Amino acid sequence: MAAAALREQLNALLSSMFSQGLVDEQFQQLQMLQDEGGTPGFVAEVVTLFCDDAERIIAEIATLLEQPIVNFDKVDAYVHQLKGSSASVGAQKVKFTCMQFRQLCQEKSRDGCLMALAVVRNDFYDLRNKFQTMLQLEQQILAYDPKQQ
Amino acid sequence: MEGRGREVVTRVLLVDDSPVDRRVVQLLLSNTCAGSFHVIAVDSAKKAMEFLGLKEEGKEQAIDMVLTDYCMPEMTGYELLKAIKALSPLKPIPVIVMSSENEPQRISRCLNAGAEDFIVKPLQSKDVQRLRNCSSALATTQCKGESDGKLLPSDHVVVDAATVAESPPPSRRREHFAGVAMVLHTSSVELSQYFPFLFKFILLVYAILCLGELLHRWSSGCFLSLWCA
Repeated sequence: MAAAALREQLNALLSSMFSQGLVDEQFQQLQMLQDEGGTPGFVAEVVTLFCDDAERIIAEIATLLEQPIVNFDKVDAYVHQLKGSSASVGAQKVKFTCMQFRQLCQEKSRDGCLMALAVVRNDFYDLRNKFQTMLQLEQQILAYDPKQQ
Repeated sequence: MEGRGREVVTRVLLVDDSPVDRRVVQLLLSNTCAGSFHVIAVDSAKKAMEFLGLKEEGKEQAIDMVLTDYCMPEMTGYELLKAIKALSPLKPIPVIVMSSENEPQRISRCLNAGAEDFIVKPLQSKDVQRLRNCSSALATTQCKGESDGKLLPSDHVVVDAATVAESPPPSRRREHFAGVAMVLHTSSVELSQYFPFLFKFILLVYAILCLGELLHRWSSGCFLSLWCA
């Protein structure tokens, strides 16, 4: 009964993530690969990797933008990397924000880049919280129903 | 190429500076074709060259295919591609380039440099068959372009020496053809999403034309005369 409620909660969370545009069909494909390929923990591993990598990249970008002379090429390279890994896990909103960020890098606008960084950070933290909730729910469901492993 | 009984295992050297992309591709290849791919992942083109350089001439190559990202620091995937093709010109290792940027110029540049295929990231399950087709084992054993019985979706164009033609044209023409094919493929993928809308539009226009014709006949009295006849 409790497992069913948790599953319902998880489904509602995933549904809202899709409807809000936080994730796209690439994330759905990763879930399908996990379910059909019999690789438990596939999505958790990739999501965790993404969150760690994104955190590192955002910190690097922040450091670069604090410099007296900003190396916009390096900033662009990092944003490109974040965009790529976002696309790979299906983090649609972060990916789109990165695309806009890259345009500001081309314009070599420090203020614009700082604003874009704030938006990226906000979108990433929002997504990360949802991912963490998702993983917690999955763990709780597995605790009730180990056969799902 | 290793063989486990009948199953052919393709050894893939995966080169990508993004740890997320490396892991996704590794899991994708192992899940989509379980046991068909053995993936060795490195995080830079430099490490890839070191790995490939360990295999001297005359010794069996341990890699059947290189799958590399285009944008990497220090040495790009394009530079790695050219270096690999120069490494063993008589028996080059197939190289497939991946990029998140769908630029026709970048695609044709890589194909002209000898890349067997160009895949737009993120890599998906449907792209795995393209990797199988481009592996050197399939290129030598299936020179007539036969796949393993699976048909590719119509919007996929596999570009490699084994499938272009039974008597392949000269290399320059082949590269040009491959370049055009890849550019058309990327365009067709984008256009295919409009086909349902286009079909409905054509139906609507046809219906309007028929209605117009009927009204014209009715107004000119032809319809009534036909009815009374």
